[in-house]
Amino acid sequence: MKDTLQLKDVSTAEGQMVSIDLKDIPELPLDVKTMPWKPFTDEQKQNTACILDEVCVLNIPMPKNKEEEEEMVNKFLNGMRKLFSKENNWTFLPMLETSMDYCAQCNSCSEACHLYEMSGKNEMYRPNFRSEIFRRIYKQYVKKEPFAKWRYGDMGLNWKTVARLGELAYRCNLCRRCAQTCPIGVDNGLLAREIRKLFSQEMGIYPRELHEKGTMNQMKCGSSTGMTPEVVKENVEFIDEDYTEITGVGIHTPFDVQGADIMLLHNAGEVMAWPENIAAFSLIFQEAGLSWTLSSKALAYDGVNYGVFYDDAQTARIALQHMMAAKELGVKKIVIGECGHAHKALTVIADRVIPFEYQVPRESCYVTLHDIVMSGRLKLDPSRNNFPVTLHDPCNIVRLMGIVEPQREIVRKIAPMFREMPCHGVDNYCCGGGSGFAIMTRNNIEQWRGNISGRKKMWQIGEAFKDCLGPETRKYICAPCSNCKGQIRELLEHNDLYTKNNFAYGGLVELIVNAMVNVNPGFIKFEGEEE
Amino acid sequence: MSTLFYILGYLAVAGFFCMAYLKIKSYLAASPLHVRWELYPVPHEGSKTVYGGSFMEEKDWWTKPRHVEHMGDVKALLTEVLFLHATFEHNLKLWVRTYPFHVGMYMLMGGTIIVLCSAVAQLLGLDPQSGLMIFVGNIISACALAGTLCIIVGGVSLVLRRRADEGLRRYSTPEHYFNLLVFVLFGALGLAAWVSAPSYFELARTFMYNLITFHFAPQTNVLFSLHLLVGFFLLIWIPMTHMGHVFMKYFTYHDIRWGDEPTNYSPKNQQKIMDALKYNVSWSAEHIAGDGQPKTWVDVATTNPAAPKKED
Repeated sequence: MKDTLQLKDVSTAEGQMVSIDLKDIPELPLDVKTMPWKPFTDEQKQNTACILDEVCVLNIPMPKNKEEEEEMVNKFLNGMRKLFSKENNWTFLPMLETSMDYCAQCNSCSEACHLYEMSGKNEMYRPNFRSEIFRRIYKQYVKKEPFAKWRYGDMGLNWKTVARLGELAYRCNLCRRCAQTCPIGVDNGLLAREIRKLFSQEMGIYPRELHEKGTMNQMKCGSSTGMTPEVVKENVEFIDEDYTEITGVGIHTPFDVQGADIMLLHNAGEVMAWPENIAAFSLIFQEAGLSWTLSSKALAYDGVNYGVFYDDAQTARIALQHMMAAKELGVKKIVIGECGHAHKALTVIADRVIPFEYQVPRESCYVTLHDIVMSGRLKLDPSRNNFPVTLHDPCNIVRLMGIVEPQREIVRKIAPMFREMPCHGVDNYCCGGGSGFAIMTRNNIEQWRGNISGRKKMWQIGEAFKDCLGPETRKYICAPCSNCKGQIRELLEHNDLYTKNNFAYGGLVELIVNAMVNVNPGFIKFEGEEE
Repeated sequence: MSTLFYILGYLAVAGFFCMAYLKIKSYLAASPLHVRWELYPVPHEGSKTVYGGSFMEEKDWWTKPRHVEHMGDVKALLTEVLFLHATFEHNLKLWVRTYPFHVGMYMLMGGTIIVLCSAVAQLLGLDPQSGLMIFVGNIISACALAGTLCIIVGGVSLVLRRRADEGLRRYSTPEHYFNLLVFVLFGALGLAAWVSAPSYFELARTFMYNLITFHFAPQTNVLFSLHLLVGFFLLIWIPMTHMGHVFMKYFTYHDIRWGDEPTNYSPKNQQKIMDALKYNVSWSAEHIAGDGQPKTWVDVATTNPAAPKKED
């Protein structure tokens, strides 16, 4: 279907519209195998609208009759009208309208997209494919412009169009690399997010990992991980004990210190999956003599804000709670830990959503760490990091916030064998787990991350280390973002690249602690080394 | 008939500015304040622009005076407008076709402004046969020849590319071809007028002089008249299509891509947030609509949809 796919197929194709042939997926210098797609079961096909490709993120229930089909279309159109109203979408309407009206259909954005490239240039993955369907529906059915079919192209609208468009919004990492290349300033990444928003805010359709298990869980018990304040405090206490033993330095992570200078906001996923990151932060801040604290208030010990991936209301609710917690503690600033989307949500998006009187200044941990390292407050021995190191740029922090150099200056200072990936800095590629995919787990999403979305990052990593591939040389992938780490971990594990290439991955703070002279050597563990 | 022709000219100019005004007004009215949606590199960041850095790389940046290097923005916009830098960098195959097309338009647009100045100079007493006017006439004639040729070559090659490139063809609508072919027609008629008339500049200046003096003398060259008629149509048509990027690009770049002003530096924006939060929300999903009572954004943001429901 790839070569003949037309825009109107979203409304006419029967069954699965697109099939990604694994043979079309480009080979990489690293041994990253493709993963076969698991076929949908008959029950899934009967009950769920798995009609786009081999992946199904939204699990939209299959309409049972004509009435349900019409209801789906009408709800969608209602949502579209609201999306274009100032009252309902003042936050994004100007960007939305310009991206709807001024695209010249030059497709300059296609080559910039890692998904388009790594899907073997499948038509469906052009950043403009979903946008153009969305535009044509809007002009024809909502704006009802004269000669719309002639001017913008005809587009059939039925339940299949709606269901496929919803899924299409989740075939994008929202990295906005495409927007960077647009000569006019059209933003196809934004349109993908706006479609997600319409589905969530009007139709109540969202990936359960982002909504029920994500934002709702965070608002229910305090964290998307499910950890309550008591549990998180207990876990951090365990981390302090464990890493005091490992590092040989007494670590104490403070909670709820009234009037501290800094409230550090971690992604709570670190507490569960990468405790070394929590310990490293505590150790560095402690040794640098900072006045700092974590909050144990619900929501405020988890910097995660999955709302930014799909829903404005959820974004605002969580960001407000983060700010309120910092206000209550009376801190001078919030320092955001190694989590890309938390950076953007709280620093950039919340800046024009939360009333200024409730705002507390926000700073990236890269900047805080840069100040600590460059001011010489830590005794560091770069020779402890005597292995090749490369640096991943999280899109949310680098391309979307312009924080590029602080982390690099740190790495250059403490890792003598640092090398850049090709296409680094603001030209970086998404890890493949961006916009919520790193935490999704069903209906071939893992396969999608391995086969398509994470592939360009593995190409970058392979290129960065091309002079030392193989098990002989230890190599460190510095990925200072929780979701990015999760994505990179998955690809390393699945392809056994720890053994084959002696890779280790982790954040920036781990690399700093690994170089601290008062810490037991070997904080970063490579394949075969004891935990 | 002659009067009608001039009226069409006035309407075209007025139509262009009215349509552009309406489009810009609609953009500005869409929101009192949209969220920050910047994309780096942002060119007003001074020395940080080179690598795409921002003020957020500075420790305690909110305590420092905000510095915006406006010349950086001007330079980046000029580079983009004059050289179509983004297309050159990211889509060279398109650039070799679209650049001549755009340069052709710039030449004719620039030429029109010079012709207007010449007509004003004539009105103020400058002899149309003076050396200066002859010099300007030669420049305009050269611009018209090069400009029309560029539009024809660029326009035709853009049409051919849309037909030949499978990817582009799928996204090309009849309007895309129509737009390009109207430009090609505009260029071809201009070229034909240039060839057929002793002086293209003479025709253009005389028309402009008549236009600003309300002297509705008949046109002397049919091809030039047709060239102008197509031009009138384009003036009205451009703002109604995606080609309105000619003026909207200012906003997509300055206001969106480079619009990074933090709220702490703008008391005006602080107030705008408060105003926008009072808007009523009508989204229907349960986690927003909740109990079905009317809500503002403040109500929505301060409601926890996951909180245990109160017993009645």
